[in-house]
Amino acid sequence: MSVLVQDNPAASPPTPDPDQGEEIQGRSLSAIAWGRFRRDKVGMFSLGVLILLLLSALLAGPITSLMGVDPYTLNPEALDKANGGIPLGCGVPDASFFCGISREHPFGVEPGTGRDLFARVLYGMRISIFIALSATLVTTLLGTVFGIVAGYLGGRWDTVISRLMDIILAFPFLLIILALSGVFTQRLVAIGVPEGNPARITYLVLVLSLFGWPYLARIVRGQVLSVREREFVEASIAMGAGTRRILFKEMLPNLWAPIMIYATLTLPTYIATEAVLSFLGVGVLPPTPTFGAILADSVTYMSIIPSYLLIPGVILAILVVTFNLVGDSVRDALDPRASRQ
Amino acid sequence: MGKAKPGVKFAVVAAAGALLLAACGGGSSDNGDSGNGDSGATKGGTITYLQLEEQFTNLDPQRVYTGEDLAFFNGTIFRTLTAYKFSADAAEGTTIVPDMATDLGTPNADSTEWQFTLRDGITWETGDPVTCEDVKYGVSRTFATDVITNGPTYAISMLDIPSEEDGSSSYKGPYTGVGQEAFDQAVTCSEDNKTITFKLSRPVPDFNYTVTLLSFAAVPKAADTGEKYDDKPVANGPYKIQEYTKGKGGKFILVRNDAWSQDSDPYRKAYPDQWSVDFGIDPTVIDQRLIAGAAADQATLSNALQPQSLPIVFNDPKFENRRINEFDPYVRYFAVNVQKVPNLKHRQAIAAAMNRDALLTNAGGAFAGDLADGVIKPNIGQDYAPTGLWEGLLGQTIPATGDPEYAKQLIADSGEPMPTITFDYPNTPTNEKAASIVVASLQAAGITAKPNPIEAGQYYGVVFDPEKAHEVINAGWGPDWPNASTVIPELFTPSGGFNLSQADDKDFNANVDAAKIESDRAAQATQWQELNKYAMEQVFAIPTRFGRDQRLPGEKLGNAYLWPAYGAWPYGDMYVTQ
Amino acid sequence: MLLLLTLVVFLLFSVLPADPARLTCGKACTPAIIEANRERLGLNLPVWQQYWEFLKGIFVGRTYGSGTASFTCDAPCLGYSFKRGEEVTTLIKTAFPPTMWLALGAFILWITVGVSAGVYTALRRGRWQDKTIMGLSLVGYSLPSFFIGLLLLFFVIIKWQLLPFPSYVSPFEDPVQFFQTMLLPWIVLAILYAAFYTRLTRNQMLDTLGEDYIRTARAKGLPERTVIRKHGLRAGLTPIVTAAGLDLAGLLGGAIITEQIYSLPGLGSLAINSVVDADLPVIVGITLVTASFIIIANLIVDLLYAVIDPRVRLV
Repeated sequence: MSVLVQDNPAASPPTPDPDQGEEIQGRSLSAIAWGRFRRDKVGMFSLGVLILLLLSALLAGPITSLMGVDPYTLNPEALDKANGGIPLGCGVPDASFFCGISREHPFGVEPGTGRDLFARVLYGMRISIFIALSATLVTTLLGTVFGIVAGYLGGRWDTVISRLMDIILAFPFLLIILALSGVFTQRLVAIGVPEGNPARITYLVLVLSLFGWPYLARIVRGQVLSVREREFVEASIAMGAGTRRILFKEMLPNLWAPIMIYATLTLPTYIATEAVLSFLGVGVLPPTPTFGAILADSVTYMSIIPSYLLIPGVILAILVVTFNLVGDSVRDALDPRASRQ
Repeated sequence: MGKAKPGVKFAVVAAAGALLLAACGGGSSDNGDSGNGDSGATKGGTITYLQLEEQFTNLDPQRVYTGEDLAFFNGTIFRTLTAYKFSADAAEGTTIVPDMATDLGTPNADSTEWQFTLRDGITWETGDPVTCEDVKYGVSRTFATDVITNGPTYAISMLDIPSEEDGSSSYKGPYTGVGQEAFDQAVTCSEDNKTITFKLSRPVPDFNYTVTLLSFAAVPKAADTGEKYDDKPVANGPYKIQEYTKGKGGKFILVRNDAWSQDSDPYRKAYPDQWSVDFGIDPTVIDQRLIAGAAADQATLSNALQPQSLPIVFNDPKFENRRINEFDPYVRYFAVNVQKVPNLKHRQAIAAAMNRDALLTNAGGAFAGDLADGVIKPNIGQDYAPTGLWEGLLGQTIPATGDPEYAKQLIADSGEPMPTITFDYPNTPTNEKAASIVVASLQAAGITAKPNPIEAGQYYGVVFDPEKAHEVINAGWGPDWPNASTVIPELFTPSGGFNLSQADDKDFNANVDAAKIESDRAAQATQWQELNKYAMEQVFAIPTRFGRDQRLPGEKLGNAYLWPAYGAWPYGDMYVTQ
Repeated sequence: MLLLLTLVVFLLFSVLPADPARLTCGKACTPAIIEANRERLGLNLPVWQQYWEFLKGIFVGRTYGSGTASFTCDAPCLGYSFKRGEEVTTLIKTAFPPTMWLALGAFILWITVGVSAGVYTALRRGRWQDKTIMGLSLVGYSLPSFFIGLLLLFFVIIKWQLLPFPSYVSPFEDPVQFFQTMLLPWIVLAILYAAFYTRLTRNQMLDTLGEDYIRTARAKGLPERTVIRKHGLRAGLTPIVTAAGLDLAGLLGGAIITEQIYSLPGLGSLAINSVVDADLPVIVGITLVTASFIIIANLIVDLLYAVIDPRVRLV
C-alpha cells in the first residue's frame, strides 16, 4: 500500500499536512498514516469495536467453551413444550421484551431446539467474515485488472470486456445465484472441491466475485478513461514511457482511491449479501450457523420473541457498520488527497 | 379420517414449515362449536377465505388433490357421486352419504363392478342436465396423464383396462383417444344416460369411497379445454365461479348458481350467498386479522395458524370459543430408502438413534401433535392398532430421545460397515433445525450423516427420482379415505404412488394385495394393522409424529369445525350468523 | 446483445437440478408419463431447438400441447408456466406495476436525498455536519436490506402499529392504501441507495472541487452556486449517472428481499417463487426482461456520458 501512495503521480502530489512538515522526513508513510488514523476518533472507536468482534469471532471456540455453551447442543430444558416449543417465558401474556434470555444463555436460545444463540452468533460471524473477505480479494483483483485493461488498451479489448461486463451486470444476480446454487455446487464437487460446506462456500465466493467485479471494473475503466486524457499521462506517453510504466506508475496510483473505496465498501456489502443469501436459503449447511439462517428463522417468531430478531440483527449491523467506518478512516489516513486539500 | 393431500402437495406444505405450516397443537381440544348445530343457521352473507397461496394449485376437478381444496370445491362447485357426511365427529364425519347418486352404489358379488344411478334434476350452471356421459368423460380425463397432472390416479389403477409393459394404461385419455374402446368397456352408461357402471380390475369393497374424490366428478365434454380447463371449469354445485384472478391480490369469487336446485342436492346446505377467496395474503397478516377480529373479518376463515400466533391464541381465554386444535389426517415420517440401506440392522440403528422428542419440540411441541408409532394414525378408526415400535419391535424399548448406544450395538451386530446417511428435506428454517437434530442424533450413534436441503417447490420432484433420492427422506402422508388401503400400499409397495422407501418386499406385497381385496372390513383392518407393524419392524419408515392442526375461524362463522374427512373446513355446511 | 443474453440464460437454466418433466408428473409417476410430459413441455427437443422455439414464440407465438388439448400462446410469447397455468408474458405484465412503483418512488427519494446530501457534505467537509451525515450514510449503506426491512416492519407495523400490514393495491384504486403499503419499502430502498449516492456524490465533488478549473472559475469571481452547479457537479456527474441508470434498471427487475418482506406482488416475488418451484419458463422470462432493462439503461448511460463530460470519447 504505502509503496503505491509513495508513487503518487507528480501531477498531484499529496499535500503534506502543515503540522507534520518537520517530522515527515523521519517517519515511514505507514507511520504517518497511523498517526492520522489515530486522531480520527470515530475510526479509532470503530476499530476497537471491530477488533473486539473479530477477536470474538476468531476465538469463538474458546469463548463459548469458557461460558459453557456451544452452538450445537440442544437445550430442551430451556423450552416450553406445551407452548409451541418456544423459549420459556416467551409468548405468554406478560412476556418481557427479552424473554428467553438468562445468565446461561446471554442472547437467549433458539426456539424449537434450545441451541445457544450467543454461540451461534459468534460462529456465524466467523463464517460470514471468512466468505466476505475471500470474495472481496477475488473481486478487487478481477475488477482492477479488467478495468485497467479495458480503459487503457481500449479498442477491441475494451469492447470485449465492456460487453462481458454488460452481460454480467445485466443479470439479476440474486436470482441466478439462487437458481443455480444446486447445480454449480455439484459441479464444484465434480471438479474436486470437497462436498458439503467447502463446495458451498467456494460457490458463494465465486459467484459473489463473478457478479461483483464488473462494478469495480466499470469505475476503474471510467477513471482510466479520464485519467489517460490528463496532461501528466500524455506527457509520459510523449516522453516515450512504456505501457507497463504508464499503467502501473502513472495510472494505478490515481486509481488507488476508487479501488480502495470500492474494496472497503465491498467487504461489508459481501457480509450483508452473504446474510441475504443464507436468509433465502443458499448458504452453508446446517447445523453450521450463519447470520442469514438465524434471521430467516427469527422472522417467524418476530412478534413473540423480538430479541431473537434484534440481537443477531444488531450485531450483524454493528459488524458491517464498523467495518465500513474503519475502512473509511483507513482511506482518509492513507490517501489524504481524497479528504483533505 | 380422511383424505390427505397426497404427499405431493401436502408434504411440501409440511415441509415449507415456517412459511406455510402452523403445524403445532396444544393438548386439549378447545373446539367451540363442533357438531352440526344447525340452530341459528341462516342463508345469506359472504364468507371470506384468506389464502396465503397465490392461486389454487389446481381448479380442474380431475387435478385437485389437496385436502382443503377437495373439501372446498366439493362443498361449493363440484358434485360427486358420493360424499362425506358433514360432522365434527371423527367416526360420523368420515362416513359417506349419496350426493349425485341416489344411493351409496351397488357392487356385484365380488365388488369388481359398481353401479351408481344419478338423481333427477342435476344440472350444469348452463342449465344442461348432468348425464352419465359427463361423469364418464370426467373420469376419462385422468388417463390423459400428460395434461391432467397432480390428480389422484385411482381410476387408472382400479378400472379394468389393460396395462402396457411399462405399467402405464393402454388408454391415453380423451384428447388423443388412443385405447378409447378399452375405456368404453370399463365404464358404461345405461340407455337413459342415468346409470354409470365401473368395471374394476380387482375387488374394491370400498369403491364408493373412492368416488368421493373429485377425480370422479363430471366434466361436460363440449366445455373441456384441456390445460385451460384449470382456469374456468363448469360448475354443477350450488355456486358458480364469477371471478378467478391469480397472484397476490387475486380473487376467486363464487356466487349462487341459479341452475342448481336444493331438491336435487340434499347434501349441501349452501347457506352463504357468496364465497370470496383472497389470494397471496401474508400469513402473518392473515393471523393478525383473524386475531383482531374486526367487523369486516368476522365471517372470515383461513387455514392453519402460524407458530407465532399459537401462544397468543391459546393463552388468551378470549379465543376459547373459537380456537380449534385437532388432529389432522397426516402422519409425518422419514422414509428410509431400503435400496440404499439394505441392511435391516442399519435401518433399525437409524430409527433407534433418532431423537424424536427433539424433533417434536422443534415442530412446535404439544401443538405439533403426538409421537407416532406407525404410518397409520389413530383417528383413521379401526385400521389403527399400536405397533409397539418403540416398545420392543426394534429389539428393546427406545426412549423418545433416542438410544445411541443401542444403535451402535445394532451396527456392530450387522457385521457390515454403516453407509453414510444423507437426509433429504425441503429447505425451510424449521426443517433446517430438524435436519440439525437428525444429523446430531445419527452422529451420536457414530453414523456419518449429511443434510441435503432441496428447494421446497421442487422437493417431491427430486426425491421421487430414485437417482436423486438419498437414504433418509422427510415426508408426510394422510389417507385418501378412511381405509389404510390408501396408506400402506401407497407408501410401501412398488405399485404405490408414494413409495419413497423404494420398498419391494415380496411377502409384504402379497399380503398387501390380499388385504386390498379382503371384503370383510374387520378382517381387513386386522391385516392393515399387521402390515403397519411389519413395515415398522422392517423400518421402511421412521414415524415422527401424528400431526395436529390449529385454526381460528371468524366470530360470526357457524359450523366452523374441523371436518375429519379432509382435515379441512366443512365448506358445504358453514353459515354466517346474522 | 439481447440475443446473446437469451442464449446464455437459456443454456444456464437448461442444467437445473430438478427435471421439470418429473416435477409436473406428481405421484404415481411412470417413465412413460415423464416422457409424455417432456414432450408436452417441449423438453424432448435438443436445447438449441428449444431455444429456437422460444425465439420463435417471442416473434410469432407458439402452440402448446397436441390434439384437442392444445392451445396457443400469442406473440410476444415468453413461454407458458404449466405450474401456474398462465402465460409468462401475462405473469410479468401483472407483476410489473408494483415493481415499477417501488423502483420509481425509491429512485426519486434516494436521488434527491443522496445527491443533495453529497453536495452538502462536500461543501462542509470536515465539519460536524459532514461527519454526522457521512456516518449516518455509512450506517445506511452497510445495513443489509432485509434487516432494515424487518426492523421497520417490526417497529412501525407490529410494535407501534403506525401503519397497517402491507397489502398492495394499485394507486388508481386506493391511493391511501397504496401509499401506506409503499411507504416503508420506499424508505428501505432509499436508505440503502441514498447512502451510496451521498458518498459517491461527495467523493466526486471533492475530486472536482480540487481541480484547477474550479480554482480558475472561483478566481474569475463566479458565484459559488454557479461554480458548484455548472462546474463541480457536472464534471462529477458521470459516475453518478452511470450508477443511477444501472440501479434504477436493476430495481425495475424486482427487489427480491424488499418485495418479499412487504408482500409486494412484483417481479422480485414472482422471481423468487419461480426459483423455489423450479418454474423454468418464468425464471427465463424474468431474467430476460430484467436484463433488457439493464442493457437499455447501459446504452442510455453511455450516450449520456458524452453529453455530460465532453472529454470522454466514445470508444
